[in-house]
Amino acid sequence: MTAKQFFKGEAFKCLIALLCVLLVSGVFLTIMNSLLAVTEQERFERAINKIYGKNVKTEAVAVENYNDSATIDEAYKVKDDGNYLIKATGKGGFDNGTVTCWVVVNVSGGTVKGIDKVVIDSNKGQSYIGYINDKFLSGFSEYKGEYFNPNEGFIKTGATRSATAICNAVNASIDFVNAKFGNVAVDIYENFDLTEYINTKQTSHEITDGNVVYHIKTKGHTMPSEFTIDVTVNSAGAITDYNIVVNGSTSQSYTDKMLAGILDKTLFIGKDFAGIQAILNEGITYPGDGKDTLISTGATQSNYLCVYAAAFATKNYDKCLNAADDGDENTEGGQENE
Amino acid sequence: MNKYKKISLDGLIYQNPTFMLVLGTCPTLGLISSAFSSMGMGLTVLVVLTLSNMIISALRKVIPNAVRIPCYIVIIATLVTFARMFLEKFVPDLYDSLGGFLALIVVNCIILGRAEAFANKHNVVESAVDGIANGLGFTVALTLMGIICEFLGKGALFGLQIMDFKIGMLAKPAGAFLVYGICIAVFVYVIDGFERWRRVKANKLARENMLSAKEAA
Repeated sequence: MTAKQFFKGEAFKCLIALLCVLLVSGVFLTIMNSLLAVTEQERFERAINKIYGKNVKTEAVAVENYNDSATIDEAYKVKDDGNYLIKATGKGGFDNGTVTCWVVVNVSGGTVKGIDKVVIDSNKGQSYIGYINDKFLSGFSEYKGEYFNPNEGFIKTGATRSATAICNAVNASIDFVNAKFGNVAVDIYENFDLTEYINTKQTSHEITDGNVVYHIKTKGHTMPSEFTIDVTVNSAGAITDYNIVVNGSTSQSYTDKMLAGILDKTLFIGKDFAGIQAILNEGITYPGDGKDTLISTGATQSNYLCVYAAAFATKNYDKCLNAADDGDENTEGGQENE
Repeated sequence: MNKYKKISLDGLIYQNPTFMLVLGTCPTLGLISSAFSSMGMGLTVLVVLTLSNMIISALRKVIPNAVRIPCYIVIIATLVTFARMFLEKFVPDLYDSLGGFLALIVVNCIILGRAEAFANKHNVVESAVDGIANGLGFTVALTLMGIICEFLGKGALFGLQIMDFKIGMLAKPAGAFLVYGICIAVFVYVIDGFERWRRVKANKLARENMLSAKEAA
């Protein structure tokens, strides 16, 4: 076939027709894209409208993170009512996903007075997010100065992990506003040992007759979410009591697979830090899934968080006493305000 | 019969894309749990279908036969992308509620089907009428089923809560499938009944005419 024949042939006509259609479509969409593109400002105004039902004046605030269980994406001071509008992404959702929420934080006199509204903006991989209804979100309005826990004080939604991520986002927003605009929160566990898997913001302790009674909240692991555990350590540095208040295992089947000695506390009673270390053979590092250790029962991560909490409690007994001495007569741990 | 009337009646009733041809089932089952989403999807398809029919009809003598399907797809995809931009800009609530189904209009067989079966054989005006009629037929069918599913499945109508009684299953795709089937059965039964009545009436008229002609003879 000669070049002349090609240019006069049907194939060339087809090629030209297709290219013309593509070119015209491309040009049309390019023009339309520039005309109809939705700017970030517009998206923000829409979010504001969804929250307040009208446009309000806001002032952007520099973002910093004070909480590991969520990230603060954007923050604004609402000029109309003096509240703070925070966009936070809570971690710990289903399948390690996240939920991004807009949180309206009411601040007065340097402290958070309440959560006026929580609106879900988006989520990653939360198949059951539809189960989070307005009744659940309105539960945040009953703020009593403590962190929100999806297992306490909320109606059950059927989407526990998504609810956890939302609570994390709201808690992070409270932390952010408290740290940035309220009285500065001090983390007294900042210099303690073994805090990698401990949620130091939500952990507290008290000292009674030389015993340290911890109310430990762990962080989640890959699969399980946070555990809440009460641990009592005596003056010899040994555990005298150990109770799992909230079991963060993924499901009841994983709870059932946990080491019996952990669930009935016999594994820990009477053990000091060296005894706890001996449970994991190689110090307090996570042994890894599928390894042949005492805690490899099919719920290794849940077991590990419980052992880690015990290790934290025994290792830091002296530091708790020292912290109490430094704080003079103050024998309360956890969140303190300067 | 006027040809435009015939095209309109075909699109709306006798060849209704949802109830008679069972086309566009994916968005139908996915969206009829909400009347608002159903109507939004129907109207979006109406606009895309009408415009694509008109453009394809106008270009039917220019586009070579061998590349007509790729060209149709490009045209439809361009219109759907434009519709997405438009909805995101001006009707964000509808854009959010349609979600992934909006992009899937590109592969909606009603649109490509009408382009191939009608628009590339008829002029622009006829194609536009066909697009509007088929789009309206799709919109009415979807909205009707959306109303039934939302009312019985959620006790609401266009988002407004009306009653506490609800059959949860009907607000889910499985329930939508059930409602879809029942609606097809009812629609076909009514159309068949009407056609039978029309045939009987025509036969009776013809017989009377024949008898009166005989008497006159």
